[in-house]
Amino acid sequence: MKTLKYTIFLITLLTIIFVSCSKDYPTGSEFAPYSFSGIDQNGGNWKPILLTSSEQIVIDAPMSTTSDTYKAEFEAMKSMIVNGEDQEAVAYWGNNPIIRWNEIARDLAAKYNLTPAPNADGTYPSPNAANPNIYPYFPFAHPPYACRAFAYLSTAQLDGMIAAWHYKYKYNRPAVYITDKTIQAAYPTNDIPSYPSDGAVIAAVSRDILSSLFPLEKQFLKEKADEMNRTLLAARIHVESDIVAGDSLGRGIAKIFLKRASTDGMSKAQVSKKVSDSLRAEALARFGWEWSNQESPQRPVGIAPLYGKLKLWSVPNVESVRPLPPPAPGSAEFNKAADELRSYEGNLTNEQRRIANWWSDGLGTYTPPGHWNRFATDNIIKYKMNPLRSARVYAYLNMAIQDAGISCWDAKYYYHYPRPIQVMNGFKTILGTPNFPAYTSGHSTFSAAAATLLSHIFPAEKTQFDKMAHEASESRIYGGIHFRFDCEAGLESGTKVGEFTIQKAIADGAK
Amino acid sequence: MPSVIPKLSNFIGLFILIFVVLWAASPRIQAQTPSDALMMKKSEMCVATFYQHDTWDEYWEGTLLRNNLNIGTLTRTNIMPMLAYGITDKLNVFISLPYISTSASGGQMAGVSGFQDFSVFAKYKIINLEKTSGSFQTFGTVGYSLPATSYLSDYMPLNLGLGTNELSARVIIKYEHKSGLYLRGSFAYLYRTTTEAERDFYYADKGIYTSTMDVPNTTTVDGALGAWLFDRSIQLEVGAVKNTAQSGDDIRRQNAPQPTNKMDMTHLNAGIRFFPKFLKGFSIIAGYTQVVAGRNVGKSTILTGGLTYQFSTKKQKAQ
Repeated sequence: MKTLKYTIFLITLLTIIFVSCSKDYPTGSEFAPYSFSGIDQNGGNWKPILLTSSEQIVIDAPMSTTSDTYKAEFEAMKSMIVNGEDQEAVAYWGNNPIIRWNEIARDLAAKYNLTPAPNADGTYPSPNAANPNIYPYFPFAHPPYACRAFAYLSTAQLDGMIAAWHYKYKYNRPAVYITDKTIQAAYPTNDIPSYPSDGAVIAAVSRDILSSLFPLEKQFLKEKADEMNRTLLAARIHVESDIVAGDSLGRGIAKIFLKRASTDGMSKAQVSKKVSDSLRAEALARFGWEWSNQESPQRPVGIAPLYGKLKLWSVPNVESVRPLPPPAPGSAEFNKAADELRSYEGNLTNEQRRIANWWSDGLGTYTPPGHWNRFATDNIIKYKMNPLRSARVYAYLNMAIQDAGISCWDAKYYYHYPRPIQVMNGFKTILGTPNFPAYTSGHSTFSAAAATLLSHIFPAEKTQFDKMAHEASESRIYGGIHFRFDCEAGLESGTKVGEFTIQKAIADGAK
Repeated sequence: MPSVIPKLSNFIGLFILIFVVLWAASPRIQAQTPSDALMMKKSEMCVATFYQHDTWDEYWEGTLLRNNLNIGTLTRTNIMPMLAYGITDKLNVFISLPYISTSASGGQMAGVSGFQDFSVFAKYKIINLEKTSGSFQTFGTVGYSLPATSYLSDYMPLNLGLGTNELSARVIIKYEHKSGLYLRGSFAYLYRTTTEAERDFYYADKGIYTSTMDVPNTTTVDGALGAWLFDRSIQLEVGAVKNTAQSGDDIRRQNAPQPTNKMDMTHLNAGIRFFPKFLKGFSIIAGYTQVVAGRNVGKSTILTGGLTYQFSTKKQKAQ
């Protein structure tokens, strides 16, 4: 019986150890509210992305802090009962909630980044923007779609912040904790005027942009925005009219950006099989090679063949960053690249395998653009940026990334270059091969553009960003889904795209 | 057949040498294993090896049974050497380390091969009631396994294993009639630690920013009906096993599975074990398993073959 006792003791002990191991995992960046490293009181003069002036959306002057209406609002804020749920929300949104909206966008990208399943007869259905809730749900948030969503979200947020800053310093309404020193704000305080609420602008812009791009999430996004707006009162940093004005400004800004989105070419990017076949035939006639999907059943059309024709943010035209043609399959240069892939096949070191997987950012994830937004977020927090500065980082980053996507997709469907699995007999990979041509590598182009732009904003981090971009690029070779020349050309054109974006950033007056 | 034995001794030496190097077992194996109701006496040792050939061409994506031409037929082979030892008549221990190979007949994803999880089990006979009409026994087993190599669990469905440490506790009850017919049932709880992916973001109902993945704990219920025939030289058994994950998410439509998934499975088994009179201490095992219901798992058909050799590590005293 002694053995039995020991056995029971051991089971009990190990059970306690195992059960106590389960825990909650982070669903985004963990950051405590921080004091902003600067307040950019002249931020209202920065050049917006689409707004023709900081007052294109009109916000009326606020009522005086001595008025009865203001006093009533103030009392309502002061006497608001903050329950446990509110406290959690205050802690979650923090004093730079643009970070949370960026995370929400990444989550939506990951949720919707699923390729349609084949029908029983071997054909494939397509998502339909007019009927988003019929499978396959709209949108399919592949990297081109996702990076466009990040770009509209972030540029609209930046213009919203520029306009908000403009009105804040124009009307100069002091924050509640300055009007009444007894008010204990939940976050570190600052001298930024409170009308309109920058938080409410961010909530409204983000809700409206994302609702348009992810229509099935409209209710979810409204709930998020409502929850966030409530924290602005619960944290004792705003009164109701700050939030109402911010919401109104945000709605107006979102409309301007959604108008651009409706005519930027995205609705024509996914084409019929007939158009797709003509692109293939053109490449075959021009270069003597063609890409075709290798899945079973074969997907008739690649992802977004005409995405290369979308409206660019900073690059004058796609031809200005289009790479030279890749080496022809069978040429000496091609064979060298193919031999390199063969040398890795079934023969990766643990570190090479880790790199391939760490950067894979494939189906079901936030895509490489989402990954770079995450790095930007880490640095926004590290450098304690205010909401306006944060918006500027995201906006220029995502303009660079979408321009990289547009120029990369131009090259992909102009050159229509085959993937390794298509032209290397029996070749096996450890990553799934995406449904678009190989040349140039999307990871390389996105990452080089992002690293170039982020290095401009965070010069002390340049070495790290460059290293990451090169590793992201290399990861596709280890994964067996790109030739080295796909990656090198991608890095080169991505860098050029990033430099165009920097020129635009330098001209906005923020420095 | 005394004349055969001297010749066999060389063979047995080789046999032991091979299996001491490569010992293994699988929870599905039905032969003097942590999940059956057989015990060895003190100082007895059993060396065994099993081979499993597991294939599926349909799997449950969540609850939807489907095929996937980019996988085609998924094949998983498992060479499973095992060593068991009777510490006392009531307490046996087992160690094993399987070697697994995976491949897919469709698509271009590379298969993998390697050692999977090292496991240690102890089985204790709790109750033993013997009467002339039959016998009733209960057993308790506790086991622990951990990955033996740095294989990647987040490479489903071609992964070698789940990449977790697993603690299992099992209770087995068995009734055997004097005719040799028996009924056996067991219940087990498998506690699993987390596994490490090589990416630090994944989606499991929401975006998660870590490389650590929860792998659901699982319960297993199994029941079997068996018979000993021909003077206990043949054991026949049929049974059913139901594994139920206690948490986890579903594979999303047209997405790859991942270790966080709720993997449920019900399978039916049939097996035969033969103890040849002319090869004292040996047994030969053959089994067939068919998965009949599941969630986030392949609809596997598994063929098993095995060979065991049991002997006493003490010199036989004169009878």
